[in-house]
Amino acid sequence: MLARRLLIRPHILPFSHSRASSGLTRHKYDVIVVGGGHAGTEAAAAAARVGAETLLITQKIQTIGALSCNPSLGGVGKGQLVREVDALDGLMGRAGDWAGVHFSMLNHSKGPAVWGPRAQLDRRRYREFIQSELLSLPRLTVVEGSVEKMLVSEPHPDKPGKHRVTGVRMAGMDEAILCSSVVLTTGTFLSGSLFMGQTTSPGGRMGDPPSCAGLSHTLREVLGLTVGRLRTGTPPRIVKETVDLSLATVQPPDQRPTPFSYINTRTRCPPEEQLPCYLTHTTPGVERVVRESLHLNCHIQEDAKGPRYCPSIESRVMRFPGRRHQVWLEPEGLTSDLLYPQGLSMTMPPDVQLRLLREIPALRKAEMRTPGYGVQYDFVCPTQLFPSLQLKNTQGLFLAGQINGTTGYEEAAAQGLWAGVNAGRLAASLPLLSLSRTESYIGVLIDDLVSRGVTEPYRMFTSRAEFRTSLRPDNADLRLTPKGFEEAGCVSAERYGEALRVREGLKGGLAALQSVCMSSTRWRERMALTCISETKSAAMSAEDILKYKDISFEMLASAIPEVFSPYLEFAHRLKIEVLYYSHCERQKREMGRIQEEESLLLPQDLDYLSLPASLSQEVREILDRVRPDTLGAATRLPGMTPAAIVHLLNYVTKAPRRGRNADRGSTDSAKTNVEQRNERKRTTNQHSIATVM
Amino acid sequence: MNYVIGEMRRASTFLTRTLRSRTIKRLTNGGPDSAGETIFALSSGQGKCGVAVIRVSGPASALALRSLTGPRQSFPTPRKAFLRSIIHPHSEEMLDRGLVLWFPGPRSFTGEDCAELHIHGGPAVISGVLEALGSLSSLRPAEAGEFTRRAFHAGKLDLTEVEGLGDLIHAETEAQRRQALRQMAGDLGRLYHDWSQRLTRCLAHVEAFIDFSEDELIEDGVLNQVDESLSQLVREIEGHLSDERKGERLRSGVQVVIAGATNAGKSSLLNLLCQRPAAIVSPVAGTTRDVVETCVDIGGFPILLSDTAGLRDTQDTVEIEGVRRARERVQQADLALVVVDSSKLPRDPRHVAASLGGQLGEVLSGQASQRCLLVLNKSDLLSEEQSRGIQSALRERGDLPQACLLSCHTDSGVNGFLSVLKNSVQILCGDPLVGGPSLTQARHRAHLLECVRSLAQYRQYRDLDLALAAEGVRLALIGLGRITGRVGAEEILDIIFRDFCIGK
Repeated sequence: MLARRLLIRPHILPFSHSRASSGLTRHKYDVIVVGGGHAGTEAAAAAARVGAETLLITQKIQTIGALSCNPSLGGVGKGQLVREVDALDGLMGRAGDWAGVHFSMLNHSKGPAVWGPRAQLDRRRYREFIQSELLSLPRLTVVEGSVEKMLVSEPHPDKPGKHRVTGVRMAGMDEAILCSSVVLTTGTFLSGSLFMGQTTSPGGRMGDPPSCAGLSHTLREVLGLTVGRLRTGTPPRIVKETVDLSLATVQPPDQRPTPFSYINTRTRCPPEEQLPCYLTHTTPGVERVVRESLHLNCHIQEDAKGPRYCPSIESRVMRFPGRRHQVWLEPEGLTSDLLYPQGLSMTMPPDVQLRLLREIPALRKAEMRTPGYGVQYDFVCPTQLFPSLQLKNTQGLFLAGQINGTTGYEEAAAQGLWAGVNAGRLAASLPLLSLSRTESYIGVLIDDLVSRGVTEPYRMFTSRAEFRTSLRPDNADLRLTPKGFEEAGCVSAERYGEALRVREGLKGGLAALQSVCMSSTRWRERMALTCISETKSAAMSAEDILKYKDISFEMLASAIPEVFSPYLEFAHRLKIEVLYYSHCERQKREMGRIQEEESLLLPQDLDYLSLPASLSQEVREILDRVRPDTLGAATRLPGMTPAAIVHLLNYVTKAPRRGRNADRGSTDSAKTNVEQRNERKRTTNQHSIATVM
Repeated sequence: MNYVIGEMRRASTFLTRTLRSRTIKRLTNGGPDSAGETIFALSSGQGKCGVAVIRVSGPASALALRSLTGPRQSFPTPRKAFLRSIIHPHSEEMLDRGLVLWFPGPRSFTGEDCAELHIHGGPAVISGVLEALGSLSSLRPAEAGEFTRRAFHAGKLDLTEVEGLGDLIHAETEAQRRQALRQMAGDLGRLYHDWSQRLTRCLAHVEAFIDFSEDELIEDGVLNQVDESLSQLVREIEGHLSDERKGERLRSGVQVVIAGATNAGKSSLLNLLCQRPAAIVSPVAGTTRDVVETCVDIGGFPILLSDTAGLRDTQDTVEIEGVRRARERVQQADLALVVVDSSKLPRDPRHVAASLGGQLGEVLSGQASQRCLLVLNKSDLLSEEQSRGIQSALRERGDLPQACLLSCHTDSGVNGFLSVLKNSVQILCGDPLVGGPSLTQARHRAHLLECVRSLAQYRQYRDLDLALAAEGVRLALIGLGRITGRVGAEEILDIIFRDFCIGK
């Protein structure tokens, strides 16, 4: 019954006290995390969980856990990421349950594999929860300040890479702080510029000073990394009482909120206290204002090669003219007097923004609290990373979040968590780990980033996951929690125990469902069912019966309580398991093939141009440019041929015997690392993680 | 036993070596049966063979063997040949009588359960049996090199033997590519590509509905349109599958193309080989403007010989099209005869090889893997000294393909050329992958069936679970993609963002 209680901690530390309690306690840490956004907080917490003495450096402790843009969490695809971060014992899911003021399960009618848990958040509560968690974590120190410079030295000779990070120097401090690994999560602050109307100013977020000039220099000039430039934006915030909500459609929350976290059974906000959202639409007047003000809009004019989707109202109107576009008016919190107009991100001058807003009937008399603005910032091309999120050319330096070209809180948190785990492991000389795209959306995210790179801000969609029906939001705990405890070490024993209990419960429930077999006539009598065809003569198991659309596990339990009532707790999950069981079984084969190829590591120092195998020059050049980490990643590269893959396969299977240095930059002996990992991949029954049951 | 050449020869070499080799480190997690799917392929050559061998490997091999030999027959004892009637599992029509063999895993070539069917070598029988196997839902045609790759994964091949595996797979992939190009060049190709585009769009719209309809303006009507498009698609594919006329004439036989610069004597060579004036010959450059096709028998092997327009830069629109077709035909051919006017070769023998290399590259468009023979025509116009110079230049340069100096005018050197050509054709016919349109057709058929079956999953789950329904469309696109090329997640997103206004 351990997990049946609500694991939301009521204590909130007063900020003054917490800030006083932080401060440098030593001159050397295992891991230093730079940045206190969603990536940074998850990275710092994860590094501390795996046992590393961790230092989080942020500009303002007050803005730790700030939601810089929309006040919402989750959604389709993104909700899966939140669930996975939670399954690995991250903060985001529990913070969402603490701060949520409007919960809804998106896609409820489309099948459990693509359900999208989402919540509107109270900004203040979210910040409070994250700050309280971080400031009470053992082994984690938080300090305010900005990093002026990264200390870089000669690389460890028997590991790949041209440089090694050894610490950071903070502004206004004489002494450097040393460490084994650094996780950079600087978001939009890397050479960030803010755009509004015809004015631009340096910065990464309105209201915060620009920073990271020194880091930018280190990344480009010292480490020689390839960087690109991306853009994003945020809408104006509207004063709630100036909005005529009677002209918008009310969108009520779910009557029974579904928590994000596997260890919460309810949310802090009681169902009846949830706030609604409102839906309204743009008018031809909005389109007119956008067109008339284009000459006053630097951010849009610089749109040489924008993303394929439409991040701002300007791009929506230009690309899809003459249409009505949706605008969601979202609450900013229980006590906030503001509304967030989702869909109205804009960068024109403030007076024009107000004119545009007032073209929408519900906003005819609206007042703006803060105008919308655009941000352009540098990102480091993520193909320069290992799947551990460590840079290929710099030992000990990890990157996570928007700096890798992604967009969204959930994408940032997922990377942050994984970078934190590996940064902590590196400090402890443990082998670095990667997540496969066959077992998680986090794996899909990281694999897409490091093997394909980005051309527009990367956002998670369920269509990116080829094993979508296996990687469901309901089973992230079965997929990841055991691995997180047994392999990565980032999951608490408490949570691990709970995941095992659930796994056993589901196994037992499924076995019970398979054990009861009756003729269809008997089932009809027993359950008073009309949905089963009379002509069906063969015996049917309870599992077959549960597959019917209108049958719930509760119905079976009330018909045959002696068998099924012990599993009532898992009723909901058993129904989903049964629906997907046969499909997931079929996917396992393909997953097995991919996992097999991913378990075969390609040495990073491999000289593809002169490799003694018959590879075409074209293939050699592709391999040399991308330097895939595993055979699986090589297989997915455009331009690879089956023959080239076989030659590589042949080569890597021989590699350990040749004593090649195939290090991932983690342990002293690279050879052992590869062998250990290949050995582990062979011996673990990975299918049990991928789709348990 | 002359049918046991090509793939079979390789296979038997592998087998004997496997017997010699000792325990090999396994790469797979779960041993042989983790490969899962059951595959089949023709593993003997075509042409003058009395017997064809079709091989099946995977967990459903026993099922396949039982389905094709009828339930009343006793199941064959392992590794012994039995005479059986081969029956189509659905129509129950008798396709042939032949020998069947059963090799239960792990003591088989791939380490999995394997079956072999030794049937009569006629194209109709072969395509009938391949089609019958493809109609079983648990079987699919093997990809290039898949049998050997499975054997490798099962630890049946020594790592040193794998050195050759990459080259083997390369050859097989190339052969399949050429074969597919031939099939896809005409109306059939257009048909498949049209299907693929429509299916891709349907999938994009389903994916858009799943990923974005809760936040963005995507009406439910989108799915109704997808329903209609998919039903239409299924009707068309099913209609195509049941069309006995098969749409296009199968071009069977080894495809040999004659190509080269204008006025090198390509049409003269064609007329010489088919011993009748099939093509118009004139001293005017650019006489042949379209592809001239003719069937000939060389050393008992069926050859489809095509004469093509001479390759040159031209402003004439008809000739431009002729040159395009010529280049396309060269890419699709199993063997190219590159004709060169020997009287126009450099006088200095030291420059001959370089000149030939250049012309060869021009004709083959840089496709180094294309099998070809060099035909140096118009030897009657050469002096004794020139002839000797050219021949010694050819002997010294090992990187040029085999070359024959001849004269279509005086017939000198023609006999030597014929025996070289006959040899090449014999080797090609021994390769089970070359010139087998029935094989390609069986493959297409199986993939189209897979596509139709997967789309049934869409219909089944459309109102129950859209994720499972979408899975059906994904699988259908993977099936069709095996014919027309893979469609990745990025292409789907391209369509989504083009067709719908998706915000941040």
